Amino acid sequence: MPNNSRETVLNVLRGQKGDHVPNFSGMGSITLGGIQDLGYRFNEIHGDARKMANSAASTHRLFGFESAIVPFDMGVVAESLGAGMKYYDKADLGQIIYPTMTRKLVDRSTVTVPDGASEADAKTFVMKEIERQITEYELKMPADIASTGRIPVVLEAIRILKRELGDEVAVGSWTLGPFTELGQVMDLEVLLKMSAKKPEAVNRHLKFMVEYLDKVLNLHIDSGADFVTVREMGATSSIMSPRMFKSLVLPNLQELFGRLKRVPTVLHICGDTNPIIELMAQTGASALSVDQMNRLNETRAKLSNVVLLGNYKPFGAPFCDGTPEEVEAIIKQSLDQGADGVWPGCDIWPQVPPENMQAMIAAMKKHGSNSH
Amino acid sequence: MAPTSEQQADILERLKNGVIEYDEEVVVKAANEALELQMDAYQAVMDGLAAGMDVVGVYFASGEYFVPEVLMCADALYGGLHILRPHIKLDPDKMVKGSVVIGTVEGDIHDIGKNLVKMMFEVAGFTVHDLGRDVPLDNFVDKYMETDADIICMSAMMTTTMIGMPVVIEKVRAKNPHARIMIGGAPINEDIAQKWGADGTGKDAPNALQEALNMIGVLRDLGDQFKAERTQKEWGADGILQPA
Repeated sequence: MPNNSRETVLNVLRGQKGDHVPNFSGMGSITLGGIQDLGYRFNEIHGDARKMANSAASTHRLFGFESAIVPFDMGVVAESLGAGMKYYDKADLGQIIYPTMTRKLVDRSTVTVPDGASEADAKTFVMKEIERQITEYELKMPADIASTGRIPVVLEAIRILKRELGDEVAVGSWTLGPFTELGQVMDLEVLLKMSAKKPEAVNRHLKFMVEYLDKVLNLHIDSGADFVTVREMGATSSIMSPRMFKSLVLPNLQELFGRLKRVPTVLHICGDTNPIIELMAQTGASALSVDQMNRLNETRAKLSNVVLLGNYKPFGAPFCDGTPEEVEAIIKQSLDQGADGVWPGCDIWPQVPPENMQAMIAAMKKHGSNSH
Repeated sequence: MAPTSEQQADILERLKNGVIEYDEEVVVKAANEALELQMDAYQAVMDGLAAGMDVVGVYFASGEYFVPEVLMCADALYGGLHILRPHIKLDPDKMVKGSVVIGTVEGDIHDIGKNLVKMMFEVAGFTVHDLGRDVPLDNFVDKYMETDADIICMSAMMTTTMIGMPVVIEKVRAKNPHARIMIGGAPINEDIAQKWGADGTGKDAPNALQEALNMIGVLRDLGDQFKAERTQKEWGADGILQPA
């Protein structure tokens, strides 16, 4: 008997063969048409469990996409630690603006420059002050994580998806990785410089993030997530050196994935991952996800036994504005280069036309069967 | 006391290497010596600091430097720029080659690339109107109209925010079809720039910072043009007049 979608996805994540190459994601994969059919505005699906769950389910319901994923924005964990958020409630209907942080826990806008300081002195003052604050800051674990900020919304959305869709479709969730999450709550520029100059001061916070993300992701798993994805894009080789990745980020990812053993896990890094792909394989994640900048055929050759997910570009040309034939070509390329699961390199851009979503599904039906 | 050519070369070399090696102390010391020796501050900025940043761009492109290193290099450059810039002996009216409105589009709080592009504009002598980050789209249009700027520069780090750019481009074009609009950021490439009707982006912009660094060359050329004009003004076209 053929596997259903859920079984195939979970088999593939565990390194087994399914009857087809699954077409899914562990990251945001909603379409604007899908949420508009439900009568929702984009800004209201991030704070309401029912709307979040229905939106996440719509891509499967409309197109047969093989996963349902929450949340959609990158601020849930930062907000639960005390960062200020903005939801763009006044955005035009149909305008896509994801929620973002308005005030980080260590934020240069809170630094008051002494009167009469020159521009140069002011900049130096702010940088020094932020560095001092990052060095001294004590991140605090919320007393009851499951009821802090929008974490309960995400947990409830996972429960709804599990209840209503969970027999057929893999339900997934994600958080950022320790380094990327730290950049969401503290001034990123100073953090990057300190990662080079004072790595120990940064590592102290990364260790906190491992503790915290472990707890948050385990709550997702308790609520019914079939698999979880950790997005550590701040540590891409487009930003930091492979050397820094190895010394500062890798040990913390190893610690985090070492604690997440109950369900399959995915490590996602976008941008240039070619120099660090073998280090990514040492993190202990069940599968690795990369984007279109990864030379997947080379990666396949280097890592024959690692589950690889990728790597079509889910925004811009051709996915969002090309012809169905062009969409088919990029999907086929991921398959030909050896992806174990065809999956986007980022959140699917919600304004992708339905015809192109259908073209992607059709391409997978045509080329992604393991029966021949 | 005019500096000897050896002294000048030595100072330029230290400014340049201080930027490349992100050693702010070296840069600050060399910049102060440049002033003591009454070196041309503009030359010190362009052939010292900016020349160093040019090399940083090459290191970044070749994978020798990454973002943290580039940021430290930029700090070193700023350290020298703040000392030297007030001493560029020029009529401020002539200094201004142009003005630019710059910001990161609504929904995006990533401003590292934007700040680097801003620095490059400042080095080249532009007046920069920095709107900051997470800038409501209409603010770009309003500021552009208010300042009558030459260039609008928009940045987005994320695919999820770049979509604001065509909205601004359309609004600006409605008011001034000839406005010069540059867009940049990690997800932006030439195809997107062309499709949205922007005038330009970095040649190779899979990365916002690379694009900013690519601009250095362009801006240094602008600086050379400017220098030629200035030479003409101070010395006269026939080269008879002596500098003040």
